[in-house]
Amino acid sequence: MKLSDRTQDGIVVLSPSGKIMGGPDASLLNDKLHQCIESDQKKIVVDLAGVEWMNSTGLGILISSYTTLRNNGGELKLANVTDKIHSLLVITKLVSVFEAHDSVDEAVGAFGQG
Amino acid sequence: MSLELAKIILYFLSGGFLVFLAITITRDNFGYRLNRMTGAMLACAGLGPLFMALGAIAEQGLAPGMRLDQISFYNIHYIWELFFPCLLVFSWIYPIDRFRSFKHPRMAYLVFIPQITHVIIILFFPEFTKLLSIIEIDPTQEGVAAIVLKPIARLFSWILLLASYVRTNHEVIFGAFNLIYVFSAIFFLETGRPLVTSPRLKKQTEVVLWGTRFGLGLFVIAQLGATVLPYELPAGLTSVLILVAMLTGAGFFIFATIRHQFLDVRLVFRQSFVYTITSAILVGTYIVMVLQSRRFLDPIFGEQAELVSYVFIVFILLLFQPINNWIDNIIRALFMRTRTDPRNVMGRFSRQLISQFDPGQLRKIISEILKTSLLVGQVYFVLFDDEVEEYALLPGEDVPHREVIGRDDLMLRAINLLDRPTDMSTLSDYMENSKLGALLEKNKVRLVLPMKDSQHLLGFLALTDKITGYRYSSEDLNLLGVLSNQMVSALTNARLYVESLERIRLQEEVTMARQIQLDLLPSAPPILSCTEIHAQSTPSRTIGGDFYDFIDLGDDRVGVVIADASGKGMPAALMIAQTQAMIRSELHNGNSISTMLANVNQQIVQATSSEKYVTLFYGELNTRTHEFSYANAGHNCPLLVRSCGDVEFLQKGGPIIGALPGMQYEESTVKLETDDLLFLFTDGLSEAMNEREEEYTEERICEFIVSHRDHDPESILRSIVEDVRTHDPSTPPQDDTTIIALKMNNGLEPHV
Repeated sequence: MKLSDRTQDGIVVLSPSGKIMGGPDASLLNDKLHQCIESDQKKIVVDLAGVEWMNSTGLGILISSYTTLRNNGGELKLANVTDKIHSLLVITKLVSVFEAHDSVDEAVGAFGQG
Repeated sequence: MSLELAKIILYFLSGGFLVFLAITITRDNFGYRLNRMTGAMLACAGLGPLFMALGAIAEQGLAPGMRLDQISFYNIHYIWELFFPCLLVFSWIYPIDRFRSFKHPRMAYLVFIPQITHVIIILFFPEFTKLLSIIEIDPTQEGVAAIVLKPIARLFSWILLLASYVRTNHEVIFGAFNLIYVFSAIFFLETGRPLVTSPRLKKQTEVVLWGTRFGLGLFVIAQLGATVLPYELPAGLTSVLILVAMLTGAGFFIFATIRHQFLDVRLVFRQSFVYTITSAILVGTYIVMVLQSRRFLDPIFGEQAELVSYVFIVFILLLFQPINNWIDNIIRALFMRTRTDPRNVMGRFSRQLISQFDPGQLRKIISEILKTSLLVGQVYFVLFDDEVEEYALLPGEDVPHREVIGRDDLMLRAINLLDRPTDMSTLSDYMENSKLGALLEKNKVRLVLPMKDSQHLLGFLALTDKITGYRYSSEDLNLLGVLSNQMVSALTNARLYVESLERIRLQEEVTMARQIQLDLLPSAPPILSCTEIHAQSTPSRTIGGDFYDFIDLGDDRVGVVIADASGKGMPAALMIAQTQAMIRSELHNGNSISTMLANVNQQIVQATSSEKYVTLFYGELNTRTHEFSYANAGHNCPLLVRSCGDVEFLQKGGPIIGALPGMQYEESTVKLETDDLLFLFTDGLSEAMNEREEEYTEERICEFIVSHRDHDPESILRSIVEDVRTHDPSTPPQDDTTIIALKMNNGLEPHV
């Protein structure tokens, strides 16, 4: 997994790419999140467009990011959820937990309304 | 005449040899006081016989009746007496350097004054009586000048009288000084001896002391005693005794140097001593033989004798070759096989290190070898400690407990850049704010010896000064550099050995864990009148993160669980063991399915971090009513295949277990009819991947089960496993795979 980040309208957009499979991926994303929390950027969109595949550990990383952010008073939204990941969210019934949007713009916009 | 000539040659040879020795020793390590002083001492000792030889030559050519000591040039030979103060200073720095502990070390050189005075008096004031007449004042003279001058003149005359007395009796007076010096030196050497503790240094000191005692003893009897005390030896005996004294004294010194590393003289020079001795013997023998041969050849060959003698010399040289080798071998065998010879030290090192795998024992051996071979005072180990993942000063003789050193320590980073033994003084810039620096300073570390494999710094050895107080020679540093490489491989081997033991132990633990896991799974599916059940679980590693369970709840109810923990291996196994125990205890408390799942979720959320979760499906079959109540907690939907071929997905329930707190689970009930097939699986089956990274997919499972719905559960499980294996032949499967098939029995009517 590779991770790039940018800021759009004051909201951090994290874009992991490749396969999210645990191991070093977990700490990569986790460290980034903690950096954001420390610099008081607690509204984050995770853009999943570049993610080819995600296993159960990868999903665990996403859940962990979600709870870490929520416990620190922040919020995480997903964007560009691929079919594969969407079906994973459906099976695990996490669709109701994660707020998923079709595009980054839409996800960023959703923060504005909230 | 010929005896005189032999004497002169012997004097020359021994004097020259001593001076050569002195130059060699001083040149090899001029920085060391011991080397300098020993060199000076030997040089002075060598000057004695050289001057004696010159004197003897001069005597041959002197006019009859003329005395040698009347030639003022010849008097310079007294300079050799500086040997005695050199000896005295030597006795203060050997075997232990006590010189440094003196309050004013430079004052020690005042001991040179008497001998220097002697030389000055002898060279520049040949006759004091003449001087006396110059300042003599007429006693009848009156007046102011006389009153002032008289006392001065008297003072001068007393001084000059004293000087002339000294001049006349100089041999006795300064001979007495020299005698006192000799005895003091022997006294100091003897008192220094008990301070030596190392066995090897003890031997070396013994040899040097015997050389000093023997040589000086003979010399005192032959020369000093005879000068100062009222006895006299025959002239021939005196010179023989002095020669023997000198040669044995020097011989002992050389032996101590080569055999017991008395001086830190490089190996090359130690070898050169040996070669010098060998060639001196050979040349001597050769000269004698050539001279003898001329005596034979001259009368026989007459004018042709010269030509023939050349042929003879060549012949002798050829003859000498085997003898040369032979002597060389003997001398080598005698001198070179020492404990400090690098090849021997390395041999010993390898032998002892190669068979040792216990890191603690290994450090002990390294420390022991360095202490005995190189006389290192103390050895400290700073090594990377796997336990704390930091470098640490390891506990040892002077270190009560481990001192962890931070990765950012300035001194540590400086040492990391080194690749050879380095003196601490060159690292003084990194002392500030460095814990390591402070520790090294506190323990009086002189030398650090980094140990590196191809890229990493395994750690380093910190060595204090040698027990002798001398510095490390370049020979020592070279040897330490080579030894550090050996230590690197020994330490690496030891670590790998410990790691492999650890791996074996872990493997045994995993095997035991697997057994426990197997014991936790139902040994056989329950035998029910209305259904036939089959289950199978295959972990991708020895232990897995899947589990299934059948629970007899009484009242004609049987619980079925299938679950999959995120991740694999031991962490996942621990998760499922915990989940399984919680489910059983919740159900035995009589809780409903939705309450049970909500409680289990809550407990796991609290017990583990949020990225660890379990997907789980729980169902309860009432064997009387054939009602099947279930809740699906984020698990792959089990398939309910009706006998007609219709498929229902059992998806009602809630999110995965253990990820988020406060989740609710919805319970649902379906009625099972005869020949209905329930198929439960984990994602190891649906996500089995072939080489083209294509998954087996839930759709394919569904199709397969529908087409095989007429088969009995056991054969359904077998055939789907085969089918998946044709898609992904990897064994064991890439992910834990668990499957359960439950089929309603057509043979028996349910009880109503």
